[in-house]
Order: sequence, then C-alpha cells, then structure tokens
Amino acid sequence: MDLETDAHMEGSDSIRSFDATEDSGNSDNLDSWLDTLKQCKFLSQKNVEKLCSMAKDVLQYEQNVQPVQAPVTICGDVHGQFHDLLELFSVGGPCPDTNYLFMGDYVDRGYYSVESVSYLVAMKVRYPKRITILRGNHESRQTTQVYGFYDECLRKYGNATVWRMFTDLFDYFPITALVDNKIFCLHGGLSPSIDSIDNIRSLNRFQEVPHDGPMSDLLWSDPDERSNWGVSPRGAGFTFGQDISEQFNHRNNLSLISRAHQLVMEGYAWSHEQQVVTIFSAPNYCYRCGNLAAIMELDEELYPTFLQFDPCPRANEPSVTRKTPDYFL
Amino acid sequence: MVLTRRLASDEDVAKFVQSEAYNDVVDIITQLNEACKDQKIGYQEPVSPTVQKLSQCLKEVSALVGQFPARKTASRFGKPEFRDFLDALELKLPKLLPSDNEEVCEYFARSFGDRKRIDYGSGHELNFVCVLICLQKLDLIHKTDFANLSLGVFDDYFNVMRQIQAEYWLEPAGSHGVWGLDDYHFLPFVFGSSQLVNDPYVRPMSIHDEVAVDMYKDKYYYFQCIYNINRVKKTSLRWHSPMLDDISGVKKWSKVNEGLLKMYKAEVLNKLPIMQHFLFGELIKAPENVSEKTGDVVHIQCWADCCGIRVPSAIAAAGATKASAGHTLQRSDAVPID
Repeated sequence: MDLETDAHMEGSDSIRSFDATEDSGNSDNLDSWLDTLKQCKFLSQKNVEKLCSMAKDVLQYEQNVQPVQAPVTICGDVHGQFHDLLELFSVGGPCPDTNYLFMGDYVDRGYYSVESVSYLVAMKVRYPKRITILRGNHESRQTTQVYGFYDECLRKYGNATVWRMFTDLFDYFPITALVDNKIFCLHGGLSPSIDSIDNIRSLNRFQEVPHDGPMSDLLWSDPDERSNWGVSPRGAGFTFGQDISEQFNHRNNLSLISRAHQLVMEGYAWSHEQQVVTIFSAPNYCYRCGNLAAIMELDEELYPTFLQFDPCPRANEPSVTRKTPDYFL
Repeated sequence: MVLTRRLASDEDVAKFVQSEAYNDVVDIITQLNEACKDQKIGYQEPVSPTVQKLSQCLKEVSALVGQFPARKTASRFGKPEFRDFLDALELKLPKLLPSDNEEVCEYFARSFGDRKRIDYGSGHELNFVCVLICLQKLDLIHKTDFANLSLGVFDDYFNVMRQIQAEYWLEPAGSHGVWGLDDYHFLPFVFGSSQLVNDPYVRPMSIHDEVAVDMYKDKYYYFQCIYNINRVKKTSLRWHSPMLDDISGVKKWSKVNEGLLKMYKAEVLNKLPIMQHFLFGELIKAPENVSEKTGDVVHIQCWADCCGIRVPSAIAAAGATKASAGHTLQRSDAVPID
C-alpha cells in the first residue's frame, strides 16, 4: 500500500481488543470506523479483517429466514453508489432511530462498493437488532469477479485479501427475512424447490451461491407476467407468475413478497396484483439508467409508504489516489 | 452456423491456453502490435487486394447501418433495428469479403455485437481478429499486409464500430462498471500504445490534456479512444475511467504496451465469461478434450456473465438525457458518473 493511498484511509489504527456483544464494548471503534466511512474513506485492511470477524460472530446466529419486527424500512440494490446510500439514510432517517432491512446487492458496478459494504456491515455490527442485511446475487465470489467488486478491491488495497474477506463473510449473510410473519423479504424471488418458508430454514446457506437449486433461485428469480414457472433469461433462477405468488402467499399466510434485483424506473413497482413488490435503491443506476430510487417504510400495521429519491451530488474528483496496476509495473 | 462454442469450464479455458488456437490469437495480435510501432493511423501504399477488399467491405457495413436507422424510443437499452442490420449484412457477406469461406463470414458477422442481447465487448472484437487469422490460414494475407491491417483495416473497423455503437446504443457486454478499461474495446489501447512507444513528446499523462487529445486523435488510436470516451462521458476521466487514469501514471508507453498485452491475455483470453463465447471451426480448431459443442441458448457456467441487470450504454444515457426521453433526473448535469 503506498503512502498516498494510506493517507486517504482512516487516520487512527489504534484498536482495543474486541468482544462482539451487542451494542457495547466495541462501539468506540465501530463509531470511529463509521465516521471514517461516512467521509467516503475506506478502512485499512487490518480493520476490515477485524470488522469481518466481528460480523461473522453476529451473522452466524441469524436465521435463514431472519425474523424482523415492524416498523422497518426496506431497501433494494445499492451497488456501490455510496453517496446515494448516505442519501438513502437521510431520506429514510438515521439508523438506529429507524430500523432497516436491506435486500442485497451492495457491491459491483459502482465506484464505492468497498465503502458501501463496509459501512452496512459496520452498521450491522454496531446495531445488530436495528439493521438486517440479506444476501443478494452479487454477494458472491463468482459474480464479483465479473462486475467490478474484485477489481475495486485490488485497486484500493493492492491485493485480493479484502475481496476474499468480504466474499467469505457473504456466506454468513441471511438469505431471507420475515417481517411480523406477514411480509417475506428476499433479493430475487421464489423457487420451484420451495413450497413453504420452512423449506428455507433447512437449507445450508453457509456457502458460495450455487449455480442452481433453491438457494440460487431465492437470489436470482424474477416475477413475470406469464403464469407458472419459466426459464430465466439471466441463466439462473426462474421466472414465476402470479399464480405461483398467490399460492406461496396463501400457503404461508403472507400478505406480500418484497424483493429487489430488478431495475424499476420509479424505484419501486407492484406486480402480481400487489402480491409482490420490487424495490430498487440505486438512483440513476450505473450512472446512466435515469431511474429514481425508492425505499419502503412499513409502519406498525405493515402499511407501506414509498419514499423516492434522486441521485445526490458528488464532489468533483474521487478521493482515490492514482496507482499503477500490477500489469504495468 | 458452422462455428461452435467449445469452452464451457475453467478446465476448458486452461486447455485452450495451451492450444494452437491460443497461439494463433496471440501470434497475430503480437504481429499487429509490432506493425503499429512508431506509425500513424492510415493506409500506406502498396495496398494488397485482400486489404483493399476488407476496407471496402467495412465501408459497405457503414453504408448498411445508414439503411437501418434506429427509431427513437423512451428506452435506453439496445435498439432492435440492430438485428435488421445484422440480418441484411449476413446475406451480403459472402460477396463482400475477400473469401466466401463460411467460417470467415461467420467470424466477420459476429464481430459487430450479439444479435440477441444487442451488446458488444472485447469478445466480439476478438472475432474480428479471428477473421484475420482465417484469412492468413487461407493464404490471403501476408506479412507485408500487417501495417495496413493494424493501421488501416482496424481503423475502419473501430470507426464503423463506433458508428454502430452510437446508432444502436449497443449495451456494454459483461461490464466491470467503472472498473473496466473501456465499455467496449481493448485492442485500440494496445495498438495505440504501440504506436507511441518511441515518441519523444507524447506521454501517457497527456490523455488528461484536452489539446493533446484533440491534436492526436486522428493519428493515434489511444487518443482516439480517449477523445470518444470524453465525448460521451462528461465528467472527469478520474471518475468514469479510473483504470485509464491509473495507466496514465505509467511513465513510458513501452510499459503501457507491455502491460496492456499482459492484461489482454489475462483478462480476455483467460477469462471464461468471455471465452465461453469463443468460436471454433476447421480453420481455428478447438483444443482436444474440451467440452462438446454447446448451442447458442445453453448457458453453461455463464451465469455470472449474463446475470444481473442489463445496463444501457453511456451513449444511450447521453442520448436519452439530450432527448429528455423517459424519466428526467433533477440536476442531471450535476451528477457525475462515479
């Protein structure tokens, strides 16, 4: 790591020993890390290692279907648009005053995947009962090697260790959540291998996202206008029709399936006669899609209110210092 | 369809890298790269009949784009008229190319992007290289042609590609987001850096100098690329192209050229998401013991490549903002591309 880049990371490296219990012990360090990240500066490799280890201690005890209580604000894809993630918290209200549930896809494509995922994981460790972070299809080793997170980690840390630490941590993320037993939240959609929510509880989620099977489907599937199951054009997961959503909701006594995974121009979109909602929280996705972002506030009665937002302004130059890639040394 | 895809796993790619086909690709790129050294863009006399025919053919391609203009719609995704253009091209090809060999025609037809996905990336660019490998094997191009190929024919190809990208808003295939070298191309950066290897005045850092970019854009591929990126992406290069920004910190063009060649081998020729689409036939033979023929629709291990959400091109975003089609962002000018 060259000195110039170090200067753009956190200032203090002095860390006391940890005890990963809730809301105590580490809050000083976590708060200082959160402050660093809020300035869009990434943590040192050593601190990412500590953060990931603390996060594992928290996430390993969460369930495949993590129970969440309303009120809670539900968010979709972020994709490394860190400035817009801060905008999301200013639109939705700061955590821990507001409870949050993120439905995956924190990394890839944007400029600040490292900062975005570090920030959300640090929030998770700092306020474990206040924020839930699910796994998206981009939280995987294979996907991040194609869509930018791997390149970004190499670029920012000079080696792949941080990428490895985060992708190892992704294996611990819960894959679905259930708000007050009524609203089923996940990144992608339903799976023909899963009839009831109990089926999900018996999966072994602590692994790389497989190419097929129920765990892959939950992270990859999309609702579709055509009924029944269909072949997904994405090459993984399935498309599922309104009949499938109705059956699933009826069988599991659910009022709604809340998911992300697809770009929707207004930031949210209903489908299947309000059996399914799609939420997308990266405004002007990839800096070129022209879409609004949205988050869904659920009150105690599970009544949804959608808050939409535009991209927020950035500084004129990125804070990363120029660095020669290995190929050119 | 005479060509088939045969690389379906990392093991297959490992076998490919040890194969004659891989050597053919690396050899021709190395020769084209050498032929660019210290030269400016353009044809030099004498121009052989094959080179002339290729150049003429690319002009016809350009004219054909004009016959299938894309309609204005609110969508920022690839324009479906691209398919009409490709269909028309395929019919004409055997007569236009220096050889009516079916394999040559197919590689050529697939050099302009994916018909179904309306996208373009370094894999399609590689198909154009395969056209040249085939012509070499058919004894239609020779050592003396290489300067005109790399500085003339490739110039025509890059130009018609830019025309196609602009007309049909081709989506970037398998994009690494801001972290990639470029949304579409790789080879003009390789050849462009070779052109400048011994230049005493122009430095890699000069890509940040608008005057230099303007001055050199017609002579050197590298600056032509920067010029075209700047035309589409309005914020600083540091935001939208951190890789190019990083490379600009390299002191010598020779290091840039060596690095890009290394990177091309590692990031294109050794990557399954790209190479699973590589086509083999009789002229470019598949290595032994790789997977059996795979159809067009079969996604083998490719989910990481066709995953995710389709992303429109920056050209489309710029075009849509201009036409205020779809949802217009507040402060859209103020939003950099980070």
